[in-house]
Amino acid sequence: MSDPIPDSTAAIALAPTARPVTAFRRFLSKPLAVAAAIVLALVVLVAIFAPLLAPFDPGASSLKDAFGPADGTHLLGFDSAGRDVFSRLIWGAQNTMSGAGIALIVALVLGIPTGLIAGYYGRWFDSASSWIVNLVMSLPAMVVLLASRAILGPTVWVLMIVMGVLVAPSFFRLVRGIVGNVRNELYVDAARVSGLRDWRIIGRHVFIVVRAPIIIQVALVAGVAIGLQAGLEFLGISSGDTPTWGAMLNEAFQNIQRAPLLLLWPGLALGLTSASLVLLASGLSDVLGERGAPAARRRKNKNAAPADVVPSTSVPAPETRGALLSIRDLAVSYELADGSDREVVHGINLDIEPGEILGLVGESGSGKSQTAFSILGILPEGGSVSRGSVTIQGTEVIGLAEKKHRELRGTVVAYVPQEPMSNLDPSFTIGDQLAEPLRVRLGLSKQAAKARVLELLQMVEIADPARTFAAYPHEISGGMAQRVLIAGAMSCDPDLLVADEPTTALDVTVQAEVLSLLRRLRADRGIGVLIVTHNLGVVADLCDRVAVMQQGRIVEQGTTEQILVTPEHPYTRQLLGAALDGVDARPEWQPRSTEVSA
Amino acid sequence: MISFLIRRLLASIVLLFVISAITFLLLSAPHTDVGRVLLGQAAEQSLVDAKNAELGLNQPVLVQYLTWLGNALRGDLGSSWFTSENVLSAIGNRIPVTLSLMVGVTLITAVVSFALGIWAGVRRGAADRFVQIIGVVGYALPGFLVTLIMVLVFAVQLRWFPAIGYVDFFTSPAGWLSTVTLPILALSVGSIAGVSQQVRASVIEVMRKDYVRTLRSRGLSPRRIIFRHVLRNASAPALTVLGMQFVGMLGGAVIVEQIFGLPGIGSMTVSYTTRGDIPIIMGLVMFTVIGVVVINLLVDVVVSWLNPKARLA
Amino acid sequence: MKLGKWSGFAALTLATGVLLSGCAGAAQSPAASDTLNIATLSIPQSLDPTAATGSNVPFFQAVYDTLIRRQANGDFTPMLATKWEYNADNTQLTLTLRDDVKFHDGTPFNAEAVKANMDRFRTSTGGDSKGLKNISEITVVDPTHVTITLSAPDPSLLFRLSDSAGLMANPAAFANPDALKTTPDGTGPYQLDKSKTVIGTKWVYDRDPKYWGDKLPYQTLTLSVFDNENAIVNGLKTGQIDTALLQSADQRAAAKQDAQLKIQDSNVDVQSIILFDRAGAMVPALGDARVRQALNYAIDRDTMLKQIRQGLGTTTSQMFGTDTLGYDKSLDNYYTHDPKKAKELLAEAGYANGFDLTLPRMAAIVDDALAASLKADFAAVGVKLTWQDVDQATALKQIFTDKGFPGLVLSLGQPANDWLMISSQLLPGSFNIFGYTDPEATELVNKIQHESVADSKADAQALNKHIVEQGWFVPFYRQTYALVTDGSVNVTQQSGMAVPSIYNYTPAK
Repeated sequence: MSDPIPDSTAAIALAPTARPVTAFRRFLSKPLAVAAAIVLALVVLVAIFAPLLAPFDPGASSLKDAFGPADGTHLLGFDSAGRDVFSRLIWGAQNTMSGAGIALIVALVLGIPTGLIAGYYGRWFDSASSWIVNLVMSLPAMVVLLASRAILGPTVWVLMIVMGVLVAPSFFRLVRGIVGNVRNELYVDAARVSGLRDWRIIGRHVFIVVRAPIIIQVALVAGVAIGLQAGLEFLGISSGDTPTWGAMLNEAFQNIQRAPLLLLWPGLALGLTSASLVLLASGLSDVLGERGAPAARRRKNKNAAPADVVPSTSVPAPETRGALLSIRDLAVSYELADGSDREVVHGINLDIEPGEILGLVGESGSGKSQTAFSILGILPEGGSVSRGSVTIQGTEVIGLAEKKHRELRGTVVAYVPQEPMSNLDPSFTIGDQLAEPLRVRLGLSKQAAKARVLELLQMVEIADPARTFAAYPHEISGGMAQRVLIAGAMSCDPDLLVADEPTTALDVTVQAEVLSLLRRLRADRGIGVLIVTHNLGVVADLCDRVAVMQQGRIVEQGTTEQILVTPEHPYTRQLLGAALDGVDARPEWQPRSTEVSA
Repeated sequence: MISFLIRRLLASIVLLFVISAITFLLLSAPHTDVGRVLLGQAAEQSLVDAKNAELGLNQPVLVQYLTWLGNALRGDLGSSWFTSENVLSAIGNRIPVTLSLMVGVTLITAVVSFALGIWAGVRRGAADRFVQIIGVVGYALPGFLVTLIMVLVFAVQLRWFPAIGYVDFFTSPAGWLSTVTLPILALSVGSIAGVSQQVRASVIEVMRKDYVRTLRSRGLSPRRIIFRHVLRNASAPALTVLGMQFVGMLGGAVIVEQIFGLPGIGSMTVSYTTRGDIPIIMGLVMFTVIGVVVINLLVDVVVSWLNPKARLA
Repeated sequence: MKLGKWSGFAALTLATGVLLSGCAGAAQSPAASDTLNIATLSIPQSLDPTAATGSNVPFFQAVYDTLIRRQANGDFTPMLATKWEYNADNTQLTLTLRDDVKFHDGTPFNAEAVKANMDRFRTSTGGDSKGLKNISEITVVDPTHVTITLSAPDPSLLFRLSDSAGLMANPAAFANPDALKTTPDGTGPYQLDKSKTVIGTKWVYDRDPKYWGDKLPYQTLTLSVFDNENAIVNGLKTGQIDTALLQSADQRAAAKQDAQLKIQDSNVDVQSIILFDRAGAMVPALGDARVRQALNYAIDRDTMLKQIRQGLGTTTSQMFGTDTLGYDKSLDNYYTHDPKKAKELLAEAGYANGFDLTLPRMAAIVDDALAASLKADFAAVGVKLTWQDVDQATALKQIFTDKGFPGLVLSLGQPANDWLMISSQLLPGSFNIFGYTDPEATELVNKIQHESVADSKADAQALNKHIVEQGWFVPFYRQTYALVTDGSVNVTQQSGMAVPSIYNYTPAK
């Protein structure tokens, strides 16, 4: 049976380089998750040391004391059979947790190796195991549980083993999905080429990728197992004599009129534990999955520039401001998880005249893209302009109402992103995505928008515009995607194009074509371009002027000739020196079709 | 698409066969003494033997299974050993009950979860924490406790809804609504908790995508970006989870059906399995497997429509 | 968010719910209507009379009449038979039948019909078919007279003719063996409304306008089946159910909180350990009467009743029900809680160090409290009781078919008829699954079987005393169940039966 849907949790695929120390530190910054972890640790400790902690034998009964109140030695009183509630609660921790543990072990042992193998090797093993997984998932769980119990005996362990088998597919699918995705990643390829054996690759490279999602899933499944055990008890599918929280809850429910308070303790223990498990899972997935994305916080006083920050621009601001774009003392900050701010752009000045192409160069992390985003007002979550001024055609956009700023986007200032594929919505056809701004922004009819899109596609030199119009992003090549994005940026006829490394992801011939396209657009339409790049070849080829950026500051600015021929700043010289090696750090982008097993 | 459907169909038929065999084997293995359960604990052995022979239980399991299979292939699923009702009509009588719950819960879950998930994922901050708390609470509260409290408060105390029973939709739509409302709400709690977390996670993930930034750069309104682009891209994993919830709800329905005295297939599964009523259980299993197959197919079709990369071929 | 916050909230909500339920009532006063809604936990295997047994007989009474009507107090009065007469040695019973009753298709009810029904019943595989095993022949004398010849006297025969074995179906329906299962065809006061009936869940009966006898007070009779008493109590509180029998003490307490609900006590079941292995084949110790007596002395019935059944019931040492002739009030206290005496008896029997006893445990019957208390009480006299958990699905096979345990904790009904009690609980076969007996018991049983019921009181009491002294059982207490109505119905208990007959309900004034 075909299974084209990657497991939902597969979305949390991780890069193999998550550093444990920072992950741990990030985890510590999440109080809820830490509290959950502490609660769970306590529960586990109580479970392990139950024989030492429990003051009484959990089965020791004195019917005379049934429903008796708490006293000095029996801290929580007695249950319906005159047993010590406190002791049973403690032993319940042991039995409940080991029950969940058994379910988990069974599920992990069955699910993970098979998932690894199926995801890594694919072929017949994948087909066969996927089929079996589908079978298990289609089995009527309740019937299987009841029947197995009748065959194997009514103990909590039997229930949990069967449950482990029934939830194993969730681990299988999780692992298989992630492994299938990373199988062809470069580092795995590299490991393969370097002659590592398959099992070492799986153990060393692949397993690390699935480790975190598995940990998260373990927490969730443990919660499910505990909850399900209680639910089964409630239905009278009991776990026999073993004191578990579920059994205690059910026993309390049988006497809810006489002693409603008996429900409280096992209910509390169950609820706390499940809540802790889910909180821990969500904390872990935040820490391991989001990779340090800044905490989500809306900034108030977005544009209140702190007065005490001293502008430290190396290049003094020109007197006159650029007619198309003018940036003065722009600073961009990010709010960190601990609430403090970190400035990444430290007050820069830039100007672009209509029809001018300005290159913004610098190594990655120097703040080039942040500058570009600030102009467009599309800084990622957590980032904001902390001071300065940006004018586009004389309109101040810093502090401009979001709605007003939005009106400039597309029609006045447009954006060409760096990675072509990730910047197209995979769910819509190219034509749909290009036509949308035309219809929404310019109010064109469907036909008119389509005609215009075809025109645009032609303009960016796409051979078969009609076919590309109907294609989905995954069906076109990277070069074509970059042209589509340029077409998208040009669709509403902007005056300023902000191009963020528009050629980086492309191979050399396509790069040249895209650059000539930009040149032609400038020539034909007279648009101004801010091109963000680390490639000095591009600068030489295209730009009128160049600004060099280092660590959030512009260290040198001038005409292309000036910068390339007589660089003044040591950093510029260093950049020029490096460019001679002509090494491009980024791998060539390749379309990769999602494999669909059948 | 056609070839996909045909292959799916064939695979499902094989699945149905294998599951029917496994279930039959599982049900026969413990040798529940059906004759004795039918006749009473202390019935004379000769009578019990006669009863078992009457039901064909003295035959080898394989023969029993093949007999069942042969009849089933001819459309005859037999009659209950314990109530003599025809299996098809017995299940037909109870499916509307459980289906009402499942569809109701799924609709409510879908609407509420997407609303909450999008709200949390887009607004983040306090909204996000609120939705996460809902998730944790809904997840940690034992389902039967929620149900019991709801019955006590809304049915027994306030008398807003009946405490027990089911009214067929075609007999009285209002009656139907009043009998299924509480059970649906009770079941929705856990379901919403799970699905809203998934929607939230997907929305957050999609919101961080490069193409969302690019869409913003084209001057599209946040509303348009969220409801057209983010929602569509975030829907696929959420729908998969919703589909799983739908299927998994059969289990959750058991408790709710018992507490509300609803004659659905959830409580039927438990009570008839413990009695060892093989004809009914086999019928139920066949129906639920077909249901699962159909739901999975539906989810796959919808997801493939949402996500062109996941081609159905 | 503090971690404990929501849990506290849950507990609070729960507590509120429980408290709220405490002050229920007065919301609406249930009006006497022409529909009677009865809730039950038991379910008939079909509506073919051969499937009728014990507590599901009301399902049949609605559509079938019995030959003899058994009144609530246990008296026999005419129904389809107007007269019944035994011969001198109680081996022939002659019934005089009504001549004015017809089945729905016009087939007359007559002696042929009685013979056809009874012959079919006793040769069927129905649960009660063995009740007619003493019948050797049924002869049609004339259309209104039929003679039943017995191979041996059966003092329970009249009872049986007022119960499952007396249900008369249309012989025309016998041709198709499955016809009556879902389409009952009798002469009863109601007809099954198949369009509203959902088999397995709800049976709806409508009054038959052409019924030959006195009509019953309700136009419509509904019998609904539930999985659990919690739902039933909620239904009673909301007026959706008119009446039901509650076994659980806690559910009784829940019902009691609602002032609207009326509760009658019903003492029908007695809970005991049935000691199967009285010959000591499996557990040699049990072969010694002194050991069985010791077990009886070991248990603390008073505490058990108070704590497990919330005091609802009567402790007892005998199995004969209060409505039987053999019942002897003094035997209720024959065994007291006397661990010292138990130890002495064990020592006398050569088990001073006790012995091991393994009993099966079905969670539905033996709850935690009962399991724990028996274990503790036995341990106190040196008997090591081990509970073996058995699954509900396989329990009957393990216990009764495979005879895998020396005893069983069970709640047994206490029939009002002595011979019924003897033949279902004492005679080999029945609940005496190991088939043990002793000469004195055999002789008393023999006497009771052959003398007329009226003369059998002394022997029945002697038998009862013998059984108690010999410790065939370890009885705990008669459990008080709650016969609950929502106030719109008056109901009279049926002697010796947990569930009232359908004739016992009338609208409350």
